[in-house]
Amino acid sequence: MSLENTFKEFQAAAYNPKKLLDEYKAAGKKVIGVLPYYAPEELVYAAGMVPMGIWGSNNKNIALAKEYCATFYCTIAQLALEMLLDGTMDQLDGVITPTICDTLRPMSQNYRVAMAKLKKMPTIFLAHPQYRRPAFGLQFTVDQYTNVKKELEAICGHEITDEDIRGAIKVYNKYRQARREFVKLAGEHPEAVSAVNRSAVLKAGYFMEKPEYTEKLEALNKELAALPASDWKGVKIVTSGIICDNPVLLKIFDENGIAIATDDVAHESRTIRVDAAEDGDPMMALAKQFADEDYDVLLYDEASNQNRRGEFVANLVKESGASGLVLFMQQFCDPEEMEYPYLKKALDAAQIPHIKLGIDQQMRDFGQAATAIQAFADVLSV
Amino acid sequence: MRADEGIGPYDRVIPVGAHALMRPPTLARRAGEVKMTIYTLGIDVGSTASKCIMLKDGTEIVSQSLIDVGAGTSGPARAIEAVLAGAGMSREEMHFTLATGYGRNSLDGIADAQMSELSCHAKGAAFLFPDVRTVIDIGGQDVKAMHIENGAMVNFQMNDKCAAGTGRFLDVMARVLEVKVDELGDLAAQSTKRVAISSTCTVFAESEVISQLAMDTDKRDIINGIHHSVANRVAGLVNRIGVQDRVVMTGGVAQNKGIVSALEESLGHIIYTSPLTQYVGALGAALFAYQKALKQVSS
Repeated sequence: MSLENTFKEFQAAAYNPKKLLDEYKAAGKKVIGVLPYYAPEELVYAAGMVPMGIWGSNNKNIALAKEYCATFYCTIAQLALEMLLDGTMDQLDGVITPTICDTLRPMSQNYRVAMAKLKKMPTIFLAHPQYRRPAFGLQFTVDQYTNVKKELEAICGHEITDEDIRGAIKVYNKYRQARREFVKLAGEHPEAVSAVNRSAVLKAGYFMEKPEYTEKLEALNKELAALPASDWKGVKIVTSGIICDNPVLLKIFDENGIAIATDDVAHESRTIRVDAAEDGDPMMALAKQFADEDYDVLLYDEASNQNRRGEFVANLVKESGASGLVLFMQQFCDPEEMEYPYLKKALDAAQIPHIKLGIDQQMRDFGQAATAIQAFADVLSV
Repeated sequence: MRADEGIGPYDRVIPVGAHALMRPPTLARRAGEVKMTIYTLGIDVGSTASKCIMLKDGTEIVSQSLIDVGAGTSGPARAIEAVLAGAGMSREEMHFTLATGYGRNSLDGIADAQMSELSCHAKGAAFLFPDVRTVIDIGGQDVKAMHIENGAMVNFQMNDKCAAGTGRFLDVMARVLEVKVDELGDLAAQSTKRVAISSTCTVFAESEVISQLAMDTDKRDIINGIHHSVANRVAGLVNRIGVQDRVVMTGGVAQNKGIVSALEESLGHIIYTSPLTQYVGALGAALFAYQKALKQVSS
């Protein structure tokens, strides 16, 4: 299959998850929505159900969700609720609501109240510990994941065994490995993988069934690895932020000869950096996997005064061969806004140019962003 | 005389005559053995106005035009027609045409290339003021601050999706005050005290102005307050890139002496402007067009 056709298949999944949801339901499968992020999707898979990520929408406007949300909730959270309210996701059998940031914490209750009031679907509350690495933090995570597991068992109607979970961990490790490999190859071959296609490939992973997605992605990776070395004439940058999956916005990068060398984006690489152990207690393996996550704005860092995350991102830029960074700042994302001065400090110290683009998922006109992106390409070309 | 030749110490406003540019081009421009005269056209399609500059050999302004409507209107076509008529030339005689500004992508079939207005304002400002380090461009719907080193933009900041501090903000305030935008500077100069306009939001600031009018506050003092409100907002943006002298302000709002003065106060730096301030983006575009034309001729 040609690369272009492969990308079209990933785009079909990425841009129309509702169609996939309909297909899963028509096939008699149970489907669980998973809100952002660090939810143990492995438990959903282990239960024999299909997990589908819910990261807002680039095609909807907030209307019904206003009844439940404060105005300063990010559009990702509000549009997720919008789709739960407007019928788009009525076929879901349940939804996991992590509480990893200051918006998602209260929002988990908005989801719960709304879904209960409308008798739509069960919501599964998930709290992560702030101190995730000490023994008590690990145990807290195991306890929380156990609660999630019990509620999933109630939905699927059978016990989720340790063997089921170990099998799921293997599937997910393979899935993460393929995604990491794709991110690397896409950075090495921007002439073959546009910013738009790169995003579509990664986004599709949240909706497609994991074994099928991984198989398709591994085949794509094989084709990319066989390509001759790239003679990319444009500039390369690293992207950062919570999410940047709008194809209209990403097309501006392609039009201006800007390639994405790698990313520090939550929706893309932040959540695939760490695998879980495939042996031993599988629930503890998942808890340790979460504990081993690092360099994320939303994760507590005992050594935050050392600005480890800022240095990590600066090194990411240097090691990837990029010459600058584009930060997609989600409107009303307090954690990212508060962390920005530290990220800027680290980037400035490393003499890495960057721009901060304010975005939200209701944006339809990217004229101003296009101006900034094009000007940034000029700066990096000097 | 060029802006960078023989008029030092700089006047804060460079006289129009300074732009009768005479320095010969520094780059070779030969096609075979025949010396060519190269004409380039820069078109700046802004959100509120369309501007054109035609350059001869990258140094001499042959013609210029400005129409007070911008992207999505008849403005660009009329501005192009006017600049060509001013020089008595046709579009086919232009060696390279480069578009910039918010509507730069709307000139398919007319422009040979397009570039961002940040790069073009930086280029134009560095041409007029060779030692410029900071450029502030207040346009119709956005504010930009650029840091320049050796004539090239190396860093910049833009405002977020908000009309505060932009030309549109001043348009709204002028309408409420029942004065023309181009009268704001002179009226502010007659102010005897500054009224505090604390809101940066255009809608709330408009309410504040209406309240002041209802209290019979002198319009000139309100305008003074509006200028300082804009200046504080813009200064916050400019300070993010670090202000270094020489500071140059471009764009139509730079014609408002009240804004320039208020911004000087907020920044603590002298700000230089040019009578060509509205044309700086188009000038930069014409200069980039000249570079591209030279490449074409030499290849």
